[in-house]
Amino acid sequence: MKAYLIAAAVALVAAPAAAHHSFAMFDLTKDVAVSGTIKEVQFTNPHVWFQVMAPDGTGKDVEWSIEAGAPGMLLRTGWKPNTVKAGDKVSLVMHPAKSGKPTGSLVTMKVPDGRTLGPGGAPKAE
Amino acid sequence: MALAGLAAVAVSVVAISAEAAAPKYGPRDIFDTWIGVGGMEGAAFKNEPWPTHPEFTEWGKAASDKAASTDTQLHECFPWTPAGFMGGNGLFPIQIMPARNSIVMLYEAMVSPRRIYTDGRKHPPADEILPTFLGHSIAHWEGDTLVIDTVGHNGQARPINGYVSGAVNSGVETNPRLVASDQLHVVERIRLVQNGTYLEDAITVEDPKVYKKGFTVKKYFQRRPELEFNEYVCDFNRRPDAEGQTDVAAQ
Repeated sequence: MKAYLIAAAVALVAAPAAAHHSFAMFDLTKDVAVSGTIKEVQFTNPHVWFQVMAPDGTGKDVEWSIEAGAPGMLLRTGWKPNTVKAGDKVSLVMHPAKSGKPTGSLVTMKVPDGRTLGPGGAPKAE
Repeated sequence: MALAGLAAVAVSVVAISAEAAAPKYGPRDIFDTWIGVGGMEGAAFKNEPWPTHPEFTEWGKAASDKAASTDTQLHECFPWTPAGFMGGNGLFPIQIMPARNSIVMLYEAMVSPRRIYTDGRKHPPADEILPTFLGHSIAHWEGDTLVIDTVGHNGQARPINGYVSGAVNSGVETNPRLVASDQLHVVERIRLVQNGTYLEDAITVEDPKVYKKGFTVKKYFQRRPELEFNEYVCDFNRRPDAEGQTDVAAQ
């Protein structure tokens, strides 16, 4: 697994502060970067999921499950349901699962239109 | 003629000035879509935090610890109390609507609306009330402050300050879980501030079964009529396969 962890940095990054579910299963002190291809987008309640295929460094792909915030939270912070689609190349930063499974909570994702979007949070003040 | 023309121009200038000076929102114009300022960059107000060292009763301390443990009886998808509903986070908007006999409040993160009776009725007698998550709410105006009184809780709602199990060690929240019992009594004083562009809710929580002393915090919301309200269903694609939920009580 470590082979495809492109970068791991310890950082105290604020998780979605009052997000609906606990994020206790993710190591919020670690940021890990992954680049890969979107296999599936589940723009669903209660949270949005991105399935991302990324090479593991040994010639195989691993399927990552990346959790973001609630659909409404993403829609209010620049996302649309079709911002990323199956087949799109993305690079993202996530907090990895403490268990070591290929799953994580999204921190940022560079999407095909060039923007870097977050996991859904509060909109800016008007 | 020229003088008459000048007079007409002067009158119209005065009229325009008067229109510009007229407040956009009336003092009781709370009926709109709002979103809490929690986490909001550039907001004019900051939420007061929930207490981090509440004076728990013995029963309350045990209930709080249990809510933070992995064997909590509280389901992660249970609704909140009115205090949590009005917690002022910036992740989910609220919508306040007038009805003939009541005020209705929606919160995107919850399916159940708040129904707050404004027709002068009282709470039902304690032994006749049907305990619910959101309780029984009545309200009246004191000047331009809407005072809401809520009782009749079932003691099963999620903690006022958020998560149940897993919260304390999540790194997100390290404060004790502010649980509520069936003796919860919430009094809110809602008023417009900043020319009606923000709403302030001073929330007083009393629950003698849980807390030796009640507490009051002020939460703020920004008026955001352009925001769309989305459907939210907690018990849908929860993805335990990907460790995407920690609903210990439901397992």
